[in-house]
Amino acid sequence: MAHTNQSEALRLGITIFIFLALLTALEFVVALALNSIPLLVVVALVKAGLVMYYYMHIYKLQQESGGGHDSYEYKTGTNRLGLWLFLLSDSFVFGGLLVSRFNLLGFTRPHLSQVLGLVVTVVLLVSSFFMNRAETQMAHGNKKGFLGNTLVTILLGAGFVIGVVGVEWQLAAAEGIRASSMVDGGIFYMMTGMHAFHVLTGVLFLWIVYRNARKDVYSAEKHWGVEAATVYWHFVDVVWIFFYPALYLIGSVA
Amino acid sequence: MKKFFKSALARGLLWQLVGTLVGGGFVTGIRAVMGLEALGRFGFSEPAWVFGGLIGTLTFLGGSGVVSDWVKWARGIPTHDHHEDPPGWEKFINVSLDHKVIGIQYTLTALIVLGLGGTFALIFRTELAASGLQFLNGSQYNTMVGLHGIVMIVAILLGIAGMMNYLVPLLIGAADMAFPRLNAFSYWITIPAAIWLVSSLFLGGFDTGWTGYPPLSARAPVGMQMFFLAVFVVGWSSILGGLNLLVSVARMRAKGMTSFRLPIFVWASIATSLISLTATQLIGLSFQMVMFQRLFGMGFFDPAKGGNPVLFQHLFWFYSHPAVYVFILPGLGIISELLPVFVRKPLFGYRWVAMSSLGIALVGFLVWAHHMFTSGMNEYLRVPFMYSTLLVAVPTGVKFFSWVATIWGGKIETPTPMLFVLGGVVVFLLGGLSGPPNATVSTDLHLHDTYFIVGHFHDTMFGGFVFPFFAALYYWFPKATGRRMNEFLGKVHFWLMTPSFLVLTLGMMRIGLLGMRRRISDYDAALGFDTTHLVLTVAGFLIFTSVLVFVYNLFRSMKKGEIATGNLWNSRSPEWQVDSPIPAHNYAQPFEVVGEPYDYGLPGSKFVEFAKPKP
Ligand code: HEM
Ligand SMILES: [Cu+2]
Repeated sequence: MAHTNQSEALRLGITIFIFLALLTALEFVVALALNSIPLLVVVALVKAGLVMYYYMHIYKLQQESGGGHDSYEYKTGTNRLGLWLFLLSDSFVFGGLLVSRFNLLGFTRPHLSQVLGLVVTVVLLVSSFFMNRAETQMAHGNKKGFLGNTLVTILLGAGFVIGVVGVEWQLAAAEGIRASSMVDGGIFYMMTGMHAFHVLTGVLFLWIVYRNARKDVYSAEKHWGVEAATVYWHFVDVVWIFFYPALYLIGSVA
Repeated sequence: MKKFFKSALARGLLWQLVGTLVGGGFVTGIRAVMGLEALGRFGFSEPAWVFGGLIGTLTFLGGSGVVSDWVKWARGIPTHDHHEDPPGWEKFINVSLDHKVIGIQYTLTALIVLGLGGTFALIFRTELAASGLQFLNGSQYNTMVGLHGIVMIVAILLGIAGMMNYLVPLLIGAADMAFPRLNAFSYWITIPAAIWLVSSLFLGGFDTGWTGYPPLSARAPVGMQMFFLAVFVVGWSSILGGLNLLVSVARMRAKGMTSFRLPIFVWASIATSLISLTATQLIGLSFQMVMFQRLFGMGFFDPAKGGNPVLFQHLFWFYSHPAVYVFILPGLGIISELLPVFVRKPLFGYRWVAMSSLGIALVGFLVWAHHMFTSGMNEYLRVPFMYSTLLVAVPTGVKFFSWVATIWGGKIETPTPMLFVLGGVVVFLLGGLSGPPNATVSTDLHLHDTYFIVGHFHDTMFGGFVFPFFAALYYWFPKATGRRMNEFLGKVHFWLMTPSFLVLTLGMMRIGLLGMRRRISDYDAALGFDTTHLVLTVAGFLIFTSVLVFVYNLFRSMKKGEIATGNLWNSRSPEWQVDSPIPAHNYAQPFEVVGEPYDYGLPGSKFVEFAKPKP
């Protein structure tokens, strides 16, 4: 981020956010109007690609980290590779869940509240925007900006979990979609539960980083902890980019 | 004794007990309040056991102190990177960050677990020595077979982790693994897991075999849940260990160590780690799904709720087939590593061998359904999986070709490690040759679930893991201790184990072809298998005896072995260019790679060159 100044970074963050929002809207409309699965897949892939490139900075994996093997920079490069390998590993869990979902339910989907689904999706998307803001502020040494934006992210993340577990699960249960009813219930709770668990760990991670930032553990040059929490947070968002259409949009209601 | 009670191990175990009781008690309390059945056949109810097990695992980690540095980081407190271990044996039961100590911890644990698994095998082998039921009932027998399988798999995972941890940083010239704390974590998490695995014995056992297929696993006793929990936890050890290794190799190699100058063992470890890192998640997921099906009634694998039991097999084998390559690739790497040393010739076709490990790993991802030809999966899947499986024989063949060509015309020396290498090659050949008949649909329909399969995979696992593992132990023991193991006892071990083992597996294949089913506690005397089974049982006991000889040799040599601090095997590899045992943080002077790793017998060629010590 060294080569961009603050306002440029802000502009980029907003642009990406707008793109993501438009694509989400497109997804919703496509699902209602066309029900075209290939199109939904393409949109999800584009969204994930945008997040991974602009918010998670996957290209940093390729950057040569100068300095000796003992330098902070080189160690950060090592940590970064470790984190991404972890995410690769984790994505096999989510991949396995998607495979199970299509194996068991085919192109039908459980009867869920469309409005609520869209709302929580938007909440998570907005949280990603604030997360990006927070990281940028840290990279520019603006501690106050970092703390504010992180706090908003944490609140939105908590809002997402409450929306899914506190509201959506109750609504679904009232509709007769229970864990122990037919298998669409099992899949629904397993997928949303596994994802919500990751959101919770992300919130915890952010909270730790937030507290440490208040103690001035990080600086504009050295803030691997912040970068890691950020990348993890966006990863959880990427997962939802695939889970949302898989649960709410693809196929027809059973 | 006092040192033991103050160790991380003892503290962890105590905390595991406390955590389990608290976690189990918590669920029991809640169930009592909700008016559900609070207690079950084994004290706690099933949910209480599972939750207690989970909490107990976490409290073990907290209690042993393996996560304390991370807790400090989370609280914004920096920690030291350099960390000293106590000098005596107690460093092995305390948390150490040194990859060599962790490697030895893994290896010793592997040997203990191996002995445990062997004991289970002898118990059910004794039962099988004659037709009719001797002293086990059906469910005890099933539990023994299942535990034998999974305990051995855990032993293998620990064993390869031991070899990779000890060797890879030394081979690439790193001071340690990339993430030493994660490394310690990966080791220590296996201890509570091993305890849960064995606990299943006392919680009703489980009767599914090591594969845990539903629908049976959805209704087996509570022991089934502990089995799932244990494998899930061990899985994390594998995943994080693989991650650590990949990052270490990517980032911490010595100067000049380019891809095609990496030792073959490092290539094998990369391939192995790629599999553990990714595929392991799917066995974890599939086991978790059965656990939840049992706990919450979720219908994943329950046809009555629209579930699909075959889905479980897909998820399970998507890991468990590649996992068999996790078991063998490091061992095959050891074979390629040691052969040139003992024939004093360059390794034949270095690049091809390096790439074959990756090839096996990648093709290994595409073959899983060869375990499911009779499962009732879609029939059109059979032929593609048959061909993809046969394709694995190509990179495997590359390795054989290289071994044979390396041996060809060499001056063969046969100290104990080399004996085990050669034994491994022969046994693995038998395993490899008995694979394609299982992969061919028409023959597998007859062979599936018979003793032929049992013979097949014992040959692959012994040839690909057990023999090379012993070779590695004999070979690097002097590196770790500064003493060498007794040659005579080593030869006794080899010559007792190898013929017994060949009798065992060839006998298994024979009765398998004649129709002996696997995982069955009894057989009809009219089948005429009594004698063969008796022979197999005797062979089993002989193998166990040979391992006892090994264990005796190991402990004896630690104290009394001949001193060997130099380059005992006349190897080119960097770790042998410095004195044994190697101190913490490894090489005092960094080395640079200046030549090919396996140019044995070429005069004047050098692999590594150490920097001059600073005056
Ligand atoms: C040329 C190489 C190989 C081929 C073609 C092959 C093929 C097969 C096939 C088709 C089966 C399923 C048979 C059945 O259940 O009906 C099987 C079972 C098995 N193989 Fe192999 N295999 C090969 C190498 C290996 C290696 C290297 C290992 C492990 C170290 C291994 C371990 C196993 C195990 C553990 C099973 C039994 C799993 C169970 O049902 O419990 N195989 N093999
Ligand atoms: Cu297989």
